[in-house]
Amino acid sequence: MILLTLLIITAYLLNLVLPWWSIAIPGLILGYQFNPKAGAAFGWGFLALFLLWGGQALYIHFANDGILSTRIAEMLGVGSPYLVILITGILGGLVSGLATLTGTLLKK
Amino acid sequence: MKSLRPVFSSLLLIGLIFSLNTKFGSVPPLGKFFDPQAGFWANAEISVPESGEIALEGFEGNASVYFDERRVPHIFADNEYDLYFAQGYIVARDRLFQLEIQTYDAAGRLSENLGSRTLNRDLTTRRRGMPYGAEKALEVMKADPKTWASINAYADGINAFISSLEPKGYPVEYKILDFSPEEWTPIKSAHLMKNMTRTLAGGNNDDRTSNTIKYFGSDFVEKFFTVKPELNDPIIPASRKWDFERIPVQKPDSLFVPASAVELGEFKKPEGVGSNNWAVSGSKTKSGYPILTNDPHLSLTLPSIWYEMQLNAPGINTYGVTLQGAPGVVIGFNEKVAWGVTNVAADVMDWYEIKFKDASKKEYWHDDKWKHTTLRIEEVKVRGEEAVLDTVIYTHHGPVTEVKSRINEEREPAYHALKWIAHIPSNEIRTFYELNRAKDYDDYVESLKHLVGPAQNFVFASSAGDIALWVNGKFPNKWEHQGRTVSDGTDPLYDWQGWIPFEHNPHIKNPKRGFVSSANQESAAPDYPYYLDDDFAPFERGRRINDRLAEMNEITVKDMQDLQLDNFSYHASTILPELLEWLDEDSLGVDEREAMELLKEWDYMNEAELIAPSLFRRWWGNFYASIFNDEYRSTKAPLRYPSRDRVKEVLKNEPDFEFINNINTEKKETLEERALYSFRATIKGMTENYGEPGENWKWGYYQNNDIDHISFIPGLSAENVFSNGSSESVNATRGGFGPSWRMVVELGPEVKGWGVYPGGASGNPGSPNYDSMLESWRTGELYELKFMKEPPKEFLYKLELK
Repeated sequence: MILLTLLIITAYLLNLVLPWWSIAIPGLILGYQFNPKAGAAFGWGFLALFLLWGGQALYIHFANDGILSTRIAEMLGVGSPYLVILITGILGGLVSGLATLTGTLLKK
Repeated sequence: MKSLRPVFSSLLLIGLIFSLNTKFGSVPPLGKFFDPQAGFWANAEISVPESGEIALEGFEGNASVYFDERRVPHIFADNEYDLYFAQGYIVARDRLFQLEIQTYDAAGRLSENLGSRTLNRDLTTRRRGMPYGAEKALEVMKADPKTWASINAYADGINAFISSLEPKGYPVEYKILDFSPEEWTPIKSAHLMKNMTRTLAGGNNDDRTSNTIKYFGSDFVEKFFTVKPELNDPIIPASRKWDFERIPVQKPDSLFVPASAVELGEFKKPEGVGSNNWAVSGSKTKSGYPILTNDPHLSLTLPSIWYEMQLNAPGINTYGVTLQGAPGVVIGFNEKVAWGVTNVAADVMDWYEIKFKDASKKEYWHDDKWKHTTLRIEEVKVRGEEAVLDTVIYTHHGPVTEVKSRINEEREPAYHALKWIAHIPSNEIRTFYELNRAKDYDDYVESLKHLVGPAQNFVFASSAGDIALWVNGKFPNKWEHQGRTVSDGTDPLYDWQGWIPFEHNPHIKNPKRGFVSSANQESAAPDYPYYLDDDFAPFERGRRINDRLAEMNEITVKDMQDLQLDNFSYHASTILPELLEWLDEDSLGVDEREAMELLKEWDYMNEAELIAPSLFRRWWGNFYASIFNDEYRSTKAPLRYPSRDRVKEVLKNEPDFEFINNINTEKKETLEERALYSFRATIKGMTENYGEPGENWKWGYYQNNDIDHISFIPGLSAENVFSNGSSESVNATRGGFGPSWRMVVELGPEVKGWGVYPGGASGNPGSPNYDSMLESWRTGELYELKFMKEPPKEFLYKLELK
């Protein structure tokens, strides 16, 4: 849980000032520090950014009355703006999960 | 093995990040794109912008920008520099992508950012000489201190906005297409004007008319393209007498015949491009002051081509719509006058067959001597690929094109040079600079002298009570029908031998009938001594407007708004009764008979809820095709199709007209058979495409009014906007073309305006303001325009530029 919270907070802060790929940095460092098992590392890492990016997207979606997410869903041909939010979460999750896994493996 | 796991995992991570940061084909870099902080999510507007002060580096001035509830900016500045700087800044803030993509397109530079898929368009743009024309225009603009100052101030404003942007703030299209804005330079304003010239004066029939003579003979061309329909109702009516002698031109003894059938590319203007404007004098209005209207019909896009704005500084207070890339207001009004434009279909684009001395193409034959060509190297940069170099040969006529033709004849088509008004040095921006400040009729006329092209019918009204209309632009002084066919590039008699003097341009002021109007129809009655073109819009819209205005009195603003929304079809009313008469009822099945009843009851109004307009459109299309397609498809050469208004006359008067027969059958077909078969095909086709008769057959859907995104990005458009109107109606909405701005202005001590366009001020698809006026536009509602004499006390929000 601490790992998850730290991942979310640090990724959020880094993402404010650095390009999107900075969300991999917390995973690498915290994965190395906390050194969980491989499966758990990926899982926590994935969940952290899935929640962060997915959550941010969900907030924007509602605050914007879904105007843009609906248009992007149509552009991508995915049908529903919720799928756009889901994709956002998964993309963030994949990068962070893989980064956390790499961090923990580098220590082992 | 285990020691390899971290290496493997690291590589996988690097690979993942790399691929999510890279554009594949048309897929944007996904990581970058979905990032909620800086990707497309950052473009979702979650609150109305707030008032504030913006300190801009390098800007010494001061401008206050008040946004009203529709977010129309009202700019108040202390001087002209600050005014145009603020205009550039505000337009960039709302429409940056549009500003850039339009001018990239006009400069033949799309591929730089979009890759090889736009390469052909870029090459064509360059071979037509659009960047060449823009460079020439820039020289004229530089030489005029007022224009030069305004386009530089405007450029500074755009650049101030661009340099304040971080990638996170880029409009969403940049994120989708993955590129960045570049610095704005004054030549881009010239590119924009060339873009308008291409849209409005980039059509000609040269190859198709020549081919039609070759295959169907000159009598056919005479019958359909020289003879005018009886119902023609020219812009400048026959009652106008001309008190000058035309400047004579010398005509060749016989008409040049091209070496072979020619195919020069797609130059047919889409039917929906056209416009209406009119002004009624105070003698016909309730208020006693003139009322002026304008609705330019263009390809409808999101964001709209237009942007509404008020510009106020010492010496200027004007309101109207702007074109993105040009300082000033293009269609609008000020405290004394109002003006509007419709397109003039003059023939200002001619093709010349060129005779080169040898394969080197260094010399060409003209006026009994060999003359030297010049070369212009066009470098088209292509994203992700090597730049393409294209050498374009120029003769004194213009750039030379070699067309690979589909037509299999013994001889390949020769080389053709293009003479086009877009190559003539010009400064249209100066016209609008002066119109924005015009106080009376004389100022208006003075401003028009700067306009070369695209030629426009400038309608005018003043609070002093004048109404006027000038068919205005620089027109080549041609002999009758010069340039409607492919011209002889060796004979100087085919050159543009001079210009129609400005004072000889067709015009009219305060006519007795109490109104002036234009709807792209023939510019002037046959007694006007110069030749402009043989291909103007059908009489339908123009005649309807004149019919209505002639019978109206005590006119109010509401009456004029209603006339803009008039859906009457002169087209249907002048052929449907005959079609129904030719149709043999006894041969019809049940569905067919029901459809026929709908047509019989129809009042010729193109209303969205009706099915009859769909049936009529399709039936007429099938009927027309059944008359002409058998002959027209007997060759691969592109031929010129006759205009429907003339075809109807011929069919009504000449039942034995030979094209009625199908050349592919043994028997001889009659009009009655053509009407029946095409009617059956109509019902069959409708059922196949839209199912059983019902909701889907309604005109509002059938006319397929899609308002696409300017770069055709799916999802950023408004599809199938259910609307009244048709291209032949005054309300010329059809298939994604139509009234791109509806404006009505009442002159008087307090000038008042009303307007609407199908879109919104914001170019951001993530803002509710992106298409916020669309519904009002669709239902025909106009907004009262807030024309202010001083800074307002109430506003949505306000920006202070410092």
